[in-house]
Amino acid sequence: MRVEYVPTICPYCATGCGIYLVVKDGRIAGVEPWKEHPVNEGKNCPKGRSAHEFLYGKERLEKPLIREGDEFREASWDEALELIAERLKGAEPGEVGFLSSCKLTNEDLYVMQKFARCVVKTNNIDTPSRFCHSTTVPALISTVGTGVMETSTTSLEEADCFIIAGSNIKENYPLIARRIMRARERGAKVIVIDPRRTITARDLADIHLQINPATDVALINGMMKVILEEGLEDREFIERRTVGFEELRKYLSKLDMGEIERITDVSRELIREAAVTYARAERGCILYNAGICQHVEGIGNIRALADLAMLTGNFGKPGTGVNPLRGHINGEGSGDMGVVNVFYPGFVRVGEDAARKFGELWGVEGLPTEPGLTYMDMTEKCRILYIQGTNPMVSAPNTNDVRKKLEEKELVVVQDIFMTETARLADVVLPAAAWGEKTGTVTEVDRRVQLMRKAVEPPGEAKPDWKIVCELAAKMGMGEKFNFRSAEEVFEEIRRVVPAYAGISYKRLEKAGGIQWPCPSEDHPGTDTMFADGKFRTPDGLGHFFVVEYKGPAEPVDEEYPFALLTGRVMFHYHTGTMTRRTPRLDAEMPSAWVEINVEDAKALGINDGEVVAVKSRRGEIRVPARVTGNIKRGVVFIPWHFSETPANALTGPIAEPPSRMPEFKYSAVKIEKVEVR
Amino acid sequence: MTGEMYIAEATDERIRERGEHGGVVTALLKFALESGMVDAVLAVKKRNGNRYDGVPSLITEPEEVLECAGVLHCAPVNVARCVKEYLDGAKGVRLAVVCKPCDARAMIELAKREQINLANVIMIGVNCTGTLAPSVARKMLVEEFGVDPEDVVREDIDDGKLIITLGDGSTREKDLKELEERGYGRRENCRRCEVSVPRMADLACGKWGVPEGRRATFVEVCSERGGELLKKAAEAGVIRVEAPSKEAIDERERKEREALERSKEWQERYFGELKEMSSEERRRYWFDYFDRCIKCFGCRDACPICYCKECYLEAWRGFIRGGEVPPERAFPLIRLAHVADSCVNCGQCQDACPAEIPLSRLYQAVNKELQRVFKYVPGMSVEERPPLTVITEEELRNDDPLLFLR
Repeated sequence: MRVEYVPTICPYCATGCGIYLVVKDGRIAGVEPWKEHPVNEGKNCPKGRSAHEFLYGKERLEKPLIREGDEFREASWDEALELIAERLKGAEPGEVGFLSSCKLTNEDLYVMQKFARCVVKTNNIDTPSRFCHSTTVPALISTVGTGVMETSTTSLEEADCFIIAGSNIKENYPLIARRIMRARERGAKVIVIDPRRTITARDLADIHLQINPATDVALINGMMKVILEEGLEDREFIERRTVGFEELRKYLSKLDMGEIERITDVSRELIREAAVTYARAERGCILYNAGICQHVEGIGNIRALADLAMLTGNFGKPGTGVNPLRGHINGEGSGDMGVVNVFYPGFVRVGEDAARKFGELWGVEGLPTEPGLTYMDMTEKCRILYIQGTNPMVSAPNTNDVRKKLEEKELVVVQDIFMTETARLADVVLPAAAWGEKTGTVTEVDRRVQLMRKAVEPPGEAKPDWKIVCELAAKMGMGEKFNFRSAEEVFEEIRRVVPAYAGISYKRLEKAGGIQWPCPSEDHPGTDTMFADGKFRTPDGLGHFFVVEYKGPAEPVDEEYPFALLTGRVMFHYHTGTMTRRTPRLDAEMPSAWVEINVEDAKALGINDGEVVAVKSRRGEIRVPARVTGNIKRGVVFIPWHFSETPANALTGPIAEPPSRMPEFKYSAVKIEKVEVR
Repeated sequence: MTGEMYIAEATDERIRERGEHGGVVTALLKFALESGMVDAVLAVKKRNGNRYDGVPSLITEPEEVLECAGVLHCAPVNVARCVKEYLDGAKGVRLAVVCKPCDARAMIELAKREQINLANVIMIGVNCTGTLAPSVARKMLVEEFGVDPEDVVREDIDDGKLIITLGDGSTREKDLKELEERGYGRRENCRRCEVSVPRMADLACGKWGVPEGRRATFVEVCSERGGELLKKAAEAGVIRVEAPSKEAIDERERKEREALERSKEWQERYFGELKEMSSEERRRYWFDYFDRCIKCFGCRDACPICYCKECYLEAWRGFIRGGEVPPERAFPLIRLAHVADSCVNCGQCQDACPAEIPLSRLYQAVNKELQRVFKYVPGMSVEERPPLTVITEEELRNDDPLLFLR
């Protein structure tokens, strides 16, 4: 009998909790607390407690598969990779698209984008981060210079006021919510902005601003107007560290609080109370997520939040800032590694200079200089799609249309750990090693780079993603640029090309809690808090105020489609359910979807709790049981999107213009109908 | 043989150096392995030499035992769960296990439930007056002691003081109670713990009673098997033993008594507050905590007493409604009903709780009341059956059925 405790990082959200995997005779037998880990101190959420179970779930891919008619046949690695290489060689760079995943390690992601750029010569590469923080990056780069969490999760307890905007943090980041709970026990105030009275609003909020969906800008403008009226702005901060305040002040002075009340459906008294509470805090901390980001006007939402934080000088100290939460374990790393159509690694903007710089670093000529296509544009336009660990058939908007588009492709390669809804539509399926079966690093929500260790062997012939792509590069004659022998060797190259990672090494990452970037040298301890030196990362070092006007959703409700649909996540599941629905304990908790609807709305439609109803949008229809509750606003409904048999994303649709190209998952016009019982 | 006491030390210089108190535990483990008395040793090892990150290690190479020498106060490892869950309850392997009193007690409770085969286990008990959560310890060392946690080479708890030794040999000490008032110091359950000498194990080893300035271990033989191991090890020349003086025995008893008094003070603090509440206030107090629950099952998974293969609380069992956070209040109450009579106050449930519910406070409070009714202290002897299995008519006649919730 051999038993070994292997420390690693939970594979789910981006909090980055440490866990011990107990490996017994080559199989992971359980998860045990890693009490030294500074992020979670031995505590985990339901997903983390059962983190290993999905590895042994049904439909693990163990061999390469090639489509023949309606069936797949097993193939050798050699045959499968040859086939892909031949097709890629015959394609123009613009015809190929790479959809990668924020569940992958930095090493996997780095190699994938290097392949796209060096071998295929395209910037057509993107991840589902497009659906999470494609609004954050342009918004925060333009205001404060970098689109990252500015404090660290372990410093949150130093805040004495939180604004939690558009995040059901207790369900989706329970171990970050724990910090807020602890801060609250010591007197911190919590303001929650959400159209739903979520468990976060119920358990953590001192003030719940239950706004109409997609009216965040109006609310935040109203709060800023109050702060200025009360004289609670941080004048010294504004004077010394920002530009653009005067225009904002003028704009806000013209706003009418009555109009803001009408738009948001929040009383001016409550707006005032929230504004004053935040403005009076020593350390005010804004945490936001999908409810803010997943809007056509998401960039505006985030700029308004940045305005609010600058107005009150809440930057540069632990427990302050305007902080995006990341849904995927490696959402941050996917951006850092340059798995974005407009950024080379280290957020170097795509262009002639970037192509030259990376051409020299990599020793490759002819790197692409034009921005590539985004996730949905690739799905639409590319003839060949290489899909790595992502599942657009459940996660992308308007899944009925996605199916059509994938079926029309000349070649779809899916590299994944399970036969997903998307893999079923592929021409070639490549089996990848999962978390726990490979070594690599991930970068958590607070820029925390951590090492995930291999505990067991992958099943069958599955291999780590980075290795598969290296082998494909070799088939295409570029093997010498991809001759990595280990994940650590890939990381060493990452350190050389991404300055923020220069001081981080696998050896240093042995430490519980890893290292937070920027970490420019080996003697640098890493960075807990951004902007602590008093400078923003904008070219002039100043914070930039923006005037943001309220615009409303792209597809407002109307007489035919009178309900605003919000989609979102629940405690027991993760994204497209690939992992959690193969975890018996979690799937038993919540085996199917539902639609949350207000009691009064249900009464008006004659719908009882638990009754199956049809939810229809201009794009599709699903049937799910109603959850009748007082915890959601009238006129708003909510559906969790984890369930492929009743895909909420069959209903969603509108997408923002560039630069974000963000789908408006947090507002689609739908109607609810009773289902005729025969 | 049982009850015999010795002052002992390892004969191997190397082991004496590495061990904290003469290397007796290390020498015994190594001897048990080498002599074939056991197939493997289960001990806690520092991961990468880090004293705040102890991991249970199953060792079959005698030399490797040396890596586990020394005492770790900041690594509250769940030893009993490891034996039950990952070592098949020692049913097919003979083990020597290093145990704190709560580890030994948990293993005894599991043995009563046939989850651990104690016939295959030699429990080498080590005295314990408490452990610290590693994250709390690190913060405390920086903020209260003003030292780099990496510089610490040793911790000790003695006479109500926490004493740390740094790499340069210097020591720093602080009053434990004062540290604990400020939220540092030992885990909550440890503060209230009444058992510092593990007489329920096969051997009880510790520093109490060892003459000042001497690096040796005071060993009390607590079972035939423990005595046999000690005797054989002495005969083989791996340890030297001598009889302790009367003063040494008295000193050990005094230390044990004082530790108990300190824990009683903490019990009074924690439970006194609860007892002063009206039943309504008390219900509110606990239900407010229960409502924080996110149904992670961390408490159940960590609990060495919980062992149902098909737990009643899982969503698929159909009793507690699935998918709800917080779960119905039956959830925490059923767990309480299932294990409170046998709780050994190891605190693992509370360590695991992401909602910061003071679970060990609840369990020990109820357990103390049950001890009063049933005259049963969990984890002391395999022969004593759990009270509900052998409940008497007299006990059933108790006029205070709600006990602590009265």
